Amino acid sequence: MAPVNLSHRRTHNLLLISKLLSLRDTASPLTLLQDSLEQPAAPLIKEYIRRAKLGKVHVTLVAFETLKQPEGVDAFVSTRRKSPADIVKEVAAAYQSAASTGPSRRRLIIIDAINPLVSSRRLDPGFNLPSFLSSFIAPSDPLAGKAEASLVVTYHQDVPGLPQQNPYSPSPLSVLTYLATSIITLHSFSHILAQKAARNRSLAAPVFGLEEEQDGILLGRLDKLVGTGAAEGIVLELEHRRKSGRGVLEWYILPPASRYSPLHVKEVVTLLDDNVLYNPPLEPDTNPDNEEPKSTFELGLTERQRREREGVVLPYFDAQHGDGPGEGGRILYDLGEEDDFDEEEDEI
Amino acid sequence: MPSQPPLPPLLTPYLSTQPESSLTLISSILGATSNWLVLRFLHAALGASSSSNASFGLDELPNGIKRKVVLVSFLRGWEFWRAEAKRLGLDLARLADKHQFAFVDGLSELFTSADAAPIAPSTNTGGAVRISLPLRSQPGAVPGRGPPSTVRAGRSANGEGSQREPGIAKKLHFSGHGVASLDAMEKDIISVIDQQKTSMEDGDELILVIDQPDFLLAATGASMGIGATEMAEWVTGLQQHVHATVLTMAADSPLIHNASTAGNQLSTPIETEHAAFAIGMAHRARSVMQLRTLETGAARDVSGVLRISRGGGWTAEAKDILVERELLYYIQRDGGVRAFGRGES
Repeated sequence: MAPVNLSHRRTHNLLLISKLLSLRDTASPLTLLQDSLEQPAAPLIKEYIRRAKLGKVHVTLVAFETLKQPEGVDAFVSTRRKSPADIVKEVAAAYQSAASTGPSRRRLIIIDAINPLVSSRRLDPGFNLPSFLSSFIAPSDPLAGKAEASLVVTYHQDVPGLPQQNPYSPSPLSVLTYLATSIITLHSFSHILAQKAARNRSLAAPVFGLEEEQDGILLGRLDKLVGTGAAEGIVLELEHRRKSGRGVLEWYILPPASRYSPLHVKEVVTLLDDNVLYNPPLEPDTNPDNEEPKSTFELGLTERQRREREGVVLPYFDAQHGDGPGEGGRILYDLGEEDDFDEEEDEI
Repeated sequence: MPSQPPLPPLLTPYLSTQPESSLTLISSILGATSNWLVLRFLHAALGASSSSNASFGLDELPNGIKRKVVLVSFLRGWEFWRAEAKRLGLDLARLADKHQFAFVDGLSELFTSADAAPIAPSTNTGGAVRISLPLRSQPGAVPGRGPPSTVRAGRSANGEGSQREPGIAKKLHFSGHGVASLDAMEKDIISVIDQQKTSMEDGDELILVIDQPDFLLAATGASMGIGATEMAEWVTGLQQHVHATVLTMAADSPLIHNASTAGNQLSTPIETEHAAFAIGMAHRARSVMQLRTLETGAARDVSGVLRISRGGGWTAEAKDILVERELLYYIQRDGGVRAFGRGES
C-alpha cells in the first residue's frame, strides 16, 4: 500500500471507527457484529458499553444468551419465553423510565445474539425481522421521544440456522447484512497472523476450530502466545455504508481491555496495517555499499584488470567508423607471445 | 501402575473453581466419553466432604464453602453413576442421604408415564401410554434405548415396584408437546434444586450437572416443537437457579459439521438442531472442555486428548483466570485418570 494512501486511511478511517464505536452522530443506526467461536464478540460489546458510559449513553441489553446483567448496562431485558412484541415493549419501557427522570440521552440497544430468535420454533410465521429491528430504533410510540438510538446486533456465524419455512424468502443473515449500515466481522488476531504468514509463503491459509472439521473439535483457539502477550487483540473487519451509498472497507485492531484504563478517552483502535506484528517494519539496509552476492569465489576485479577491460575496443565500435565495406567490424587480434597459432584452424 | 489421585493435579484448577452463573461445556465424541470428567467434577465438589467423613464436622472446602450437586442424567442411570463414583471413593447414596447430592433420572422413565412404568417392563406394552403422544409411533423414536429397559427389568426384579428408589430424587417424564413439556421437566428439576437449597447457608454453592441434554433434543426434535432455541432456553431457565452449570454434549463430526459446512446440502434436522444447540451452548459457556481421540490413532498409554478453551461467555475479568491448554489423558484399568502434557508422561 502506498504511504500516501495509508496516511489518508489513517486519518479518515480511524475517525470513522471512533465515531461508530462511540455512537457519535448516530453514524450507524444498525450495526451487525458477525462473530464466531474463534473470536466471540464479547470484548467488542464490552468496549461499546465502556464508551457508552463515557458518553453518558443509555445502554439496554436485550439478552438472548447473557444470564446476568453486565457492568455498565442501564437496562437488562431478559427474553426468555417472551414474544418479539413483548421484547420491543419492554425495551421501550426501559428507556421511558430513565428518560422521564433525566434529560434526553442517546441510547444504545445491544442484542447479544439474534440466532436464538430467528431459529425459534415458537415464532409466529408472520414475524418480520426488519420491522422487529426497526421498532427498536424508531419506536412507533410518539411519546417515546426523539431519542437517537443505535442498535448493535450480534450474529453467530457458525451456528447453523433452520431451513427457511418459505423457500423464497431470504435467510435471516442476508436480511441482516442487507439492512445493516455497518457490518463488523470479528477475527482473532493470532489467526490473522497465522494466515498472513502462510500467505507470505504461498501456502494454503490454516483454518481453526469448526472449520478444521475434526472430530470432537469445537474451538481451535488456544492462547499459545500467552506470556508474550504480543498477538492479543481482536481484528475488526469493517464494512460501513455511508449515507451517500459509498462503502468503506477497513481492517482495524482492538487491543485487549487490559491494555488501557476503562476511562481512557483517546482512540485505542488502530489500523491493522499499522500493527507492528502484522506489518513488520522493513529491515533497513545495513550497508548499502556491500551489494555483491557472497561467494567463495573472488568476483571483483583488481585495478589492473579493470583498466585492461576498459581498453578493449569491441568490434561494433570499430564497425561504426565506416571505413568501407568489409573493413569495419573485422576482428583484429594481436597474437600475444603465449598464443599458439594454429594455421589449420583459422584457414577459412 | 500406581493408583492415581482422584483429581489429576493438572486438572484441579479447572474442576474446583466455578465462578458464579458460569457454564462449563464438556464436549465428547464416541471414542472419548465424558463420564470420567463428570465424575471428577462431582469429586471436586463433593470429595472434600466425603473424605472427611471420618473426622466429623469438617465437611467443608478449605475456603469454608460447602458445595452441593444436582446431577441430571439423560443417558446413564443411577446404578452407573453410583458404581463409577464408588471407584473414585465417592459414596453418592450416602451423600444423597446427607442432602449434599441429588440425582435426577432423565433416562429410565422419560417417555413412560409414572403409573405405567412399573408394570411395563417391556416396551411393547407401552402402547396405551402413547395415545397421548401420537408422534411416538414414528419409526426410529423408540429403538436405541436399550439401557432403560434393562434398568427397568432389574428394578422390577428387585421387587421395588413403584416405590421411590434410594438415591434418585426425581424421575423426569416427558409428556405433552413443545415448550410446555420442557417447562414441566424444568419444574421437576427446580423442585429438586429448591429442596437442596433449603439446607444451604449463605455462600454455599449449588452446582448443576446436566449429562447429555442433547439426547432429549434428539429424541423429541422438531416434530414435538422442540428445537435448539427451546433447549437453550430450558438450560438458561435452570441456570438461573444454581451457582454454576456443567453440561456435557456430543460433538461427533456428523452431528456438528454436516450442518455447518458451507452450502448446507442435505443436512438432516437432527444435524442442524444438534449443531445449533451445541455451538450455541459453546457461545454461552465460560469454558469448553473438548474431549477427543488422538489424531494419530490409538495408543497404549493415551486414552484421548482434552482441550480446554475459553468459550464465548468468557469475559476478561481480572479474577477469572482461565488458562487454555491441551492435555493428554489416560484412564487406567482401575478407573484412575492421569493427565499430562504432550511429551510428558
